[in-house]
Amino acid sequence: MNLTHARVWRGTMPVQYLYTAGVAGERFFQTLRRRGVLAVTRCAECQVTYLPPRLYCERCFADLSQAWAEVAPGGRVHTYTVVCEDQDGHPLDPPQVVAFVRIDGTDGGLIGRLLRVRLQDVRVEMPVDAVLAPPRRRRGRMDDIVGFAPRRALPRRRTP
Amino acid sequence: MSLIRRKPQRRVAIIGAGLSLFMRRALDTGKELSYYAASQALDAAGVRRKDIQAVVMATAPDAFDGVHMKGEWLLDGAGGVGKPYLRAYVGGGSGVFSIISGWMMVASGLFDLVLVVAEEKMSSCQPHPQGAFLTIFDHIIERPLGPNLLWIFSLEQQRYMAAYGIQNEDIALVSVKNKHNALAHPAAQVAAQLTVKDVLDSEVVAWPVHRLMVSPISDGAAAVVLASEHVAQRLTDHPIWIQGVGWCLDTSYWGNRDLAYPRYVEQAARMAYEMAGITEPRRQIHVAEPYDPFAYKELHHLEGLQLADRGKAPDDLAGGRFDRGGELPTCPSGGLMGVGNPIAAAGLMKICELFWQLRGEAGARQVPGNPERGLAQAWGDLMQVGTVAVLGVR
Repeated sequence: MNLTHARVWRGTMPVQYLYTAGVAGERFFQTLRRRGVLAVTRCAECQVTYLPPRLYCERCFADLSQAWAEVAPGGRVHTYTVVCEDQDGHPLDPPQVVAFVRIDGTDGGLIGRLLRVRLQDVRVEMPVDAVLAPPRRRRGRMDDIVGFAPRRALPRRRTP
Repeated sequence: MSLIRRKPQRRVAIIGAGLSLFMRRALDTGKELSYYAASQALDAAGVRRKDIQAVVMATAPDAFDGVHMKGEWLLDGAGGVGKPYLRAYVGGGSGVFSIISGWMMVASGLFDLVLVVAEEKMSSCQPHPQGAFLTIFDHIIERPLGPNLLWIFSLEQQRYMAAYGIQNEDIALVSVKNKHNALAHPAAQVAAQLTVKDVLDSEVVAWPVHRLMVSPISDGAAAVVLASEHVAQRLTDHPIWIQGVGWCLDTSYWGNRDLAYPRYVEQAARMAYEMAGITEPRRQIHVAEPYDPFAYKELHHLEGLQLADRGKAPDDLAGGRFDRGGELPTCPSGGLMGVGNPIAAAGLMKICELFWQLRGEAGARQVPGNPERGLAQAWGDLMQVGTVAVLGVR
């Protein structure tokens, strides 16, 4: 069907947004930037460790603003996908491997690209560690975590 | 003509209320603001989240917070995880509609304890939340002219003034009263001690509306806990009863509405009055929180609510009838003009205010004379909805 002669009015919704990370989110990002670890909150009563951190327990509604802990940015590949095309349908070469990583010591996790691994070597439950931007280049944002790489492939060093 | 088929049998009470600070550019997310208000309401009611059987969340257009499907996104901050959850939405009328929705859940017999939360975080929206309103107008007929909300309000205010010979000085007095009342509100964003001259000296945004006749951009949340009669009486000695509710939408074509008089507000009020058994609202209502996003709107709404004669609300205001110590105190909280206007949360803030006023817990804002019945009203959608709730001590 030829739609070129259909009469239509085009429109846009012209607004942009400035989002804040929130009270808990701001602490998470400042901790990531300064110390290279993940700030989490723990509800002792429900035995839940929130990542991303929450100011409150969504189960019992306890105030968690004083219940902070820190965990190392490592965990296991809970699931992953191989992205072969970009948003516009153009082929990605090489394809990107994107994983959801359950972070050890928490009940949550983070999404990130899998780095330094061949596609055929990726496994569910594979241990991975976050690859962080060098401390000076971190800006307290999600992309301070460049991605995740298999644990054994990382040089042995202490968490910065 | 009766507006309701039969009066619901189960009575519903408010047993706790909570409010976040109202502010602009909050660091707190909408979820965090919701949690502050919801947890405070639960504490005040003496119940915990696990006791709550269902949750209502009111929040206005997704475009304010900039999160599509934000009702669902706000779920955890509202205490709704793992529970029957409902987003109540009639635009700016959502705050009062939220307790109407919660009331239906309890009055129907479905639940005994319902948490009602309302939230808005408008300061995310850039360069100004007005932008989110540019697309509420008919995209073929009206949008080519680039109308915004301020235009429409200014047109409506001008029509209201012309119909009854009202002066802008009369309208400015609403800003003076409400911003003054808000000085006593600990959560207020734009409380001030002003004169009519100060208001009229502020810049003209769109004639006849001046800057200080417009409510601000706000972030905030409010919450209440609703209970059935037997549960309320177990939990508190001072339940505040929802005696009547009403709501009504006029045509979506604003050009087809009576701009000088909000008929839909009258219809909503008549429904609530019938349910509450109110036959003489001016005598039987002791304190009112009409919706005041713009100064003239409070007067416009008071007339629709039958609490003032048509075109005469400005005279009543000038005569002191609506002052905190007057015959019918209106917006003793400070209203949207003084406390602030995080859209849905602002409507529920009015319910919170009545809860505190009717329990005698409003502190420095307390209206004298032990008020026994109050009315809250909100307005919105495409400037076409009236939502009304009548609350009382028995």
